[in-house]
Amino acid sequence: MKRALEGGTIVALVAVPWLFPDAYVVHVMVVVFIFSILATGLDLVMGYCGQFSFGQAAFYGIGAYTSALLVRDLGAPFWVTLPASTLVAAAFGALLGIPAVRLAGHFLAVTTIAFQVIVTLVLTQWHGFTGGTAGITGIPSPPPIHALGRTWVSFDSPQGYYHLSLVVALVVVTLARRLTTTRLGQEWLAVREDELLAKTLGINTTKVKLLAFTLGAALAGTAGSLIAHYLRNVHPSEFTIWTSAEIVAMVILGGRGTFLGPILGALVLTTLPEYLRFAKDYKLVLFGLTLIVMTAFLPQGVLGGLRRLRDRTGAA
Amino acid sequence: MSSLDYFLQLAVNGVVTGGVYALVALGLTLIFGVLGIINFAHGEFYMLGAYLGLVLVMRLGAPFFVALPLAMAGMALGGIVAERLVFRRLRRTDPTQSILSAFGLAIALQTAALQIFGPQPAVIRTAFGATPVAFAGVHLTLQRLLIPFLAAALVLLFHLLVRRTWMGLSLRAVAQNPATASLMGIDVNAVAAATFAIGTALAAGAGVLMGSVFLMQPTMGSMVVLKSFTVVILGGMGNVYGAVGAGVLLGITESLTAGFLTNDFKDILAFLVVVLVLLLRPAGLFGQQVERQSL
Repeated sequence: MKRALEGGTIVALVAVPWLFPDAYVVHVMVVVFIFSILATGLDLVMGYCGQFSFGQAAFYGIGAYTSALLVRDLGAPFWVTLPASTLVAAAFGALLGIPAVRLAGHFLAVTTIAFQVIVTLVLTQWHGFTGGTAGITGIPSPPPIHALGRTWVSFDSPQGYYHLSLVVALVVVTLARRLTTTRLGQEWLAVREDELLAKTLGINTTKVKLLAFTLGAALAGTAGSLIAHYLRNVHPSEFTIWTSAEIVAMVILGGRGTFLGPILGALVLTTLPEYLRFAKDYKLVLFGLTLIVMTAFLPQGVLGGLRRLRDRTGAA
Repeated sequence: MSSLDYFLQLAVNGVVTGGVYALVALGLTLIFGVLGIINFAHGEFYMLGAYLGLVLVMRLGAPFFVALPLAMAGMALGGIVAERLVFRRLRRTDPTQSILSAFGLAIALQTAALQIFGPQPAVIRTAFGATPVAFAGVHLTLQRLLIPFLAAALVLLFHLLVRRTWMGLSLRAVAQNPATASLMGIDVNAVAAATFAIGTALAAGAGVLMGSVFLMQPTMGSMVVLKSFTVVILGGMGNVYGAVGAGVLLGITESLTAGFLTNDFKDILAFLVVVLVLLLRPAGLFGQQVERQSL
C-alpha cells in the first residue's frame, strides 16, 4: 500500500510538465524541489540531532557560488560543479560545526546567525571574487546528454530542468531518509532527546553533532548548485538570513524530525505567496501573518497537526 | 588634521552610533531576560519608531523633543499589542516557536512599511542638524552631539524604572522565576506587556535618534537587529548594563575600523568578534558565568 502510494506520487511528479504545460507551474515546482533538499538537510540538524541552526542559506549560497566560480574561472561543467558544491558546502558545515558543537540554545542560535551574516556580507562585499551586489551571471545550463548519435535529454528548458531537479531531489532525500534509519540516525535522536544520557551511553556526541552539521550543509550545497545552473546567475540577496529563516519555518511548520515534514513545508511555503497573489503588494504582509498564525495553531507542524487530528478521530 | 584629531573624530562618531546600538540591544536583552523571547522583529520596531518620528516632525511639524517621546509612546502601545496578539500564547513553548513568529511579524511589518512609506530614503530634519559644533578638534552637528546624551538619559530613565519602582521590581522577579513571581501575586501578563512596552519604546527612541542623522529605509531594521543580537551576547545574555557597554564599544570599534582599515570590513566585524568571543569567553565580555552549554 505504502509502496504503491510512493510509486504513484513519483509517477504523478514525473508527469507534472505534461499535465500542467504552464511554464510557471513547472518553474514553481523546480523551486519546491530545491527547497525540499534544503529543508531536508536542515531537518537532519534541527529535527533529528536537535541542534538549532540559522545558517542553512549560507551553505546554500556557498554551494551556488562554488558552482558559479568554477564555471566562471575554470569553465567546469555541471557534472563537476554539482559534486564540488556539495563537498565545499560540507567543508564549511564542518567549519561552523567546530564552534557550534560546544554551544547550545541561544548561544548556538546566535553563532549560526553570525555565520550566516558573515557569509552574506562576504558575498556582497568581496567584489573582486564574488562579483559583489551584481552577483555572477552567464552560468550555463547543464550540457544535454548525447548518446548513439542523438540528444536524449536537454536541460535548457524549464521542463528539462524540472526532471533533472526532481531526480536529484529524489536521490538526495531518499539518501537522507536512509541515513536517519542507520545507527548514526539513532545516535542523533539520542543526542536530541538527552545529550548527557547519550554521552553516558558512550555516544561520541561531538562527532555525531559535527556529522549532522556537515551533512546538512552538504545537502544545501547540492541545492545551491541546482539553483545556480537553473537561474543561470547567482545573486547575494538570495542567500540571506531571511532565506535561512524561511527554511527553518519550512522544517518547523512541516513537522521536524520527519521524512515528509520538510518536503511538505517546502511545498506549502514556496507556493503560499502564489495563493496570496490576490493581495498584490501586500502579499508578503499576509505571508508573515500566516506564519504567525500557523506557528500558534500548529506547534508540531502540519504533519503533527494531522497526526493529532487522526488520533482524536481514532479515539472517538 | 592630525592623526589624534582624526582618531578622536572617529571615536566620537562611534559613540553616536554606539548609543543607538546600546538602546536597541537594551530592549532586546530586556525582553530576552524577562520573557526568554528572542525578538527577531525588534529591528522593525526600531524602523517604525524612526518613521513615526519622521511623520511627526516632517508632516505634522512637531518639535523634535516632542516627537521623540510621542514616537516612543506610540511604539510602546505597538509593543503591547504585539505581545498580546503574537507572543503571549507562545511564552511557555519551544523557543523556536517564538523565533518563527517574530520572523513572521518582521516580514509583515517590514513589507507593510515598504508599501506605506516607499523604498526611497528619508531623514528627519531638525534645526540642530544645521548647527555645527566643534570641540577638541572634533567637528559634528548639534544633532549628532545630542544623541549620546539622549541615549544616556534614556538608559538612566530605564535604570530608575527597573531599580526604583514596583513595576521594575516585578519585572526582575519574573526574570528570576515566573512561577514564584506569580505565587507572590505578580500579574505575569501585565509584566510581559510592560516589558514589551519598555523594550519597543527604547527601540523606537533609538530609531528616531538614528533617523535624525542618517537616512532611514524600511529595511533599516534588519542589520541593526542582527548586530544587536551580537551586542546582547557580548554584553552577557540578559545583562542590561553589559548590553549598553558592548553597544557603545561596538559603535566605536566600527567607526575606527571604517576610518583606519576599510569601510567594507565595518559591518562584518561584530559577527566575527561574537564567534571568537563565544569560542574563548562564552559568558560575554561583561557577563558573569552563565550556563551556555547543555553539558
